[in-house]
Amino acid sequence: MLPTVEIPESLGEAVGTLGDGDLVLAGGTELVPRVTTRATGVSRLVSLRRAGLAGIEVNGGRAVVGAATTLAQLGRDERLAVLRPVVESIASPTIRNLATVGGNLFVRQPYGDLAVALLALDAEVSVEGSGGNASRPIAGVLEDGVAPRELVSRVAFDVPDPGAWFYTKAMRRRQNSASIVTVAAAVLVEDGRVASARIALGGAGARPVRAVSAEAALTGNPLDRRHVEEAADAAVEDASPFDDAYASAWYRRRVLPVHVRRALLRESDRPEGSR
Amino acid sequence: MRSRVIELVVNDEPQEFLAPPGTTLLIALRESLGLTAVKRGCAQGTCGACTCLLDGEAVMSCLVPVETVDGAEVHTLEGMAGPDGELDELQAAFLEGFATQCGFCTSGMIMAARVLLAEQPDPSREDVVRAISGNVCRCTGYESIINAILDAAERRRATGAISYTEKGA
Amino acid sequence: MALQTEQIDRSYFTTERGEDDHAVIGTPVQRADALGHVTGGTEFFEDVNPTGLLHLKMHRSERHHALLKRVDVTKALEVPGVVRVLTHEDVPANWYTILRLIGVEPNDEPVLPEDRVLYKGEQIVAVIATSEAAALDGAAAVEVEYEDLPAVFDVEEALAEGTPAIKPHGTNYFLYEGHHCRRIRFGDVDAAFEEADHVFEWRYQSSPIEHAPTEPTGCIVVPQADGRLRIHSDTQACFFTLDNAALILETPFSKLRLIGGTVGGGFGGKVDVIVEPIACIAAMATGKPVKYVYGRAEEMQVSSPRAAERVIIKDGVMADGTIVARKVTLYVDAGAYSRHSPYGTTKAAAHMPGPYTIPNVWVDAHCVYTNRTPASAMRGFGVTIADFALESQMDRIARALDMDPLQLRLKNAYRDGDMKAHRKVAEGTALIEVIQRGAQLVGHELPGEYRGLSSTDPREA
Repeated sequence: MLPTVEIPESLGEAVGTLGDGDLVLAGGTELVPRVTTRATGVSRLVSLRRAGLAGIEVNGGRAVVGAATTLAQLGRDERLAVLRPVVESIASPTIRNLATVGGNLFVRQPYGDLAVALLALDAEVSVEGSGGNASRPIAGVLEDGVAPRELVSRVAFDVPDPGAWFYTKAMRRRQNSASIVTVAAAVLVEDGRVASARIALGGAGARPVRAVSAEAALTGNPLDRRHVEEAADAAVEDASPFDDAYASAWYRRRVLPVHVRRALLRESDRPEGSR
Repeated sequence: MRSRVIELVVNDEPQEFLAPPGTTLLIALRESLGLTAVKRGCAQGTCGACTCLLDGEAVMSCLVPVETVDGAEVHTLEGMAGPDGELDELQAAFLEGFATQCGFCTSGMIMAARVLLAEQPDPSREDVVRAISGNVCRCTGYESIINAILDAAERRRATGAISYTEKGA
Repeated sequence: MALQTEQIDRSYFTTERGEDDHAVIGTPVQRADALGHVTGGTEFFEDVNPTGLLHLKMHRSERHHALLKRVDVTKALEVPGVVRVLTHEDVPANWYTILRLIGVEPNDEPVLPEDRVLYKGEQIVAVIATSEAAALDGAAAVEVEYEDLPAVFDVEEALAEGTPAIKPHGTNYFLYEGHHCRRIRFGDVDAAFEEADHVFEWRYQSSPIEHAPTEPTGCIVVPQADGRLRIHSDTQACFFTLDNAALILETPFSKLRLIGGTVGGGFGGKVDVIVEPIACIAAMATGKPVKYVYGRAEEMQVSSPRAAERVIIKDGVMADGTIVARKVTLYVDAGAYSRHSPYGTTKAAAHMPGPYTIPNVWVDAHCVYTNRTPASAMRGFGVTIADFALESQMDRIARALDMDPLQLRLKNAYRDGDMKAHRKVAEGTALIEVIQRGAQLVGHELPGEYRGLSSTDPREA
């Protein structure tokens, strides 16, 4: 049978209605195909479409994004224009009009490029459960998920300065393709040296991962070619890529340092706007 | 669990039908309303043959449980021709530009293009490619489709036609 | 922007051209169905939605090669909405052999398997239900116990001494009038290799290629009041479907009425008769309309791809680029069942040695069975991959001889009146003119002797 769909009209109602075995339905881009094309045994979905969880607030450089905000809405927001390359690297407009920020935290790799970016931004995730709400670092949520009957309501992060933000996604096609490797980095340079670096990788393991070895290699050094290449090579140690239809683990390991370097040196493999 | 009564405004006409639990917008349009221009190519959101407009935005209808969009406005290919059957500029451009072969992707392509032209009356080639990046064609190789969309944009600009879809708030 | 059409270049073959009264050729003619496509009116098979429609989904093999020890449908029948389950016992004549009516044998593919499965994804049990979701649930609830048999995935391994036969007729190759392959024997390649200045041998391999039509394979069968069955299908081959369904159902052809011709992408992938017969049986068993359509995962893995091929070409070549001998060993990976592969392999053999006149030609073209998804037709099958191998070979010869690759081809190009390796006289050839014109269009200079060649000039002895 196809599952029934509950449509709560507030966050509280959503949390209250979530039962064991229920799945949370946000944009549905991953969940709906699953339940309509296979026998899954899932009997109930709880839709967040009307629960008031979409919306973006930016105050004092800190963004708070409702979990049900669509990727398209995120991409249209002028205050978050620095993240537009991330949004536009994901799927197609017809997917982005449905897929949500919250949903992107839970899709399996090599999807979930926004989650990689949010990991690099050290985002805080608000998780709601029957006991109330809690703010958790994104790394934990990406690694462990949330408990049954919990759901993510908001994601918060400091909006990076465009000069301190780096992103690249290597794909098999120019549009609408999952990741071979994704690199997202927030790097702060002070007095000519890297004061802090947060580098997150996608396509590099079962979940998005921080390239801590690369971060350590960069910190305290100038952000120049030599040090970027050292950091890029070190990043391979933090990755445990897998084979899939898009690329083999061998290939991902092989090209990962190339794309880390290209991201941090802002070398695009294709000039903006060309075919 | 019982069916729900769903109300949609489809091609500017109010419609009402029963939807069993879990029915997608795609199946509701095709089987409850007989609007079969939206096609089922994959049911996975990867082919785009099911693309229609939901509150002015292009979406893949195979991904939307129709119960969650009760009350929404939906536009499909069937609503595009004029009252006397005059073809919309996009339809005419696809027809005259040989941008359709087997026809299975055509509805989705035209709907994706429709939203593009509503937002950008003078799109670049790159804009067109991005707009149809969710639509697969296995027959034409895409060039004739891209040319037809650019041609339609030119025709609209020439006649000063007003685009009639507006993005939802 | 108006569609640009190239005018036909009438300067070629003027003596053969005769009265040039083309009224349609050379003009842009609109497709009859294009208006329906752009207005949403074209009716594809799944756009038909009869009342009371039932849905058929398959339980498929999880193994590459196995005996079916036990098939238990009890739990499937208990799923709410499931109305009927079909196994091989429900199929009147349980063989699908595409070219049965013109005597092509043997029967090797069951409609539903009786005792074993030969590829992962093979259909085993059909579950019919009142909703698609219930049919999927029912298909998942079928229980099958397998006894694995050794599986083979490589064509040369399949043919190797000691590899067990996976087919009931006892060999891992299709038998061509008692022979293990299609053979062309023309002249004496071994003697020619002795005389040649160079002998080159290279090996080529292609992978199976999936058509991936945007519209998946499927049909809807509707019982009619007059006792006939109305079949709405997206087949490319309506008469194949009509004939083969009738043979499988053991009914007169007149009992079936096929509505088709609207195909959402075929490319050769919708020329087999896999979904209609079992859907007809389901419609007859229930008295209701039944839909059997592939999901996207089925379309990608279960539906037939273009066959993978392995081609080994050994050429004897003179210093001036004349190819004096060509020996081709070709293996078509037909997968688990014949379908169109025996025919495709014949085409491959007949296509050798390509559009070139070579006095000594030897071809062994094998149609090989493995435990892969059965291959079938796709876009010039039998010829397309052979051409990839042949033309790659020509380029490599040219490189080895430090010769212009177009000149190499022109030197060896076939002409009208040449005897081809399968003993038909070439006529209406045009390779020379095509190469000359192509060279001209891209600005590739050809020396005068090559510019002066013509397909209609007989070759000097």
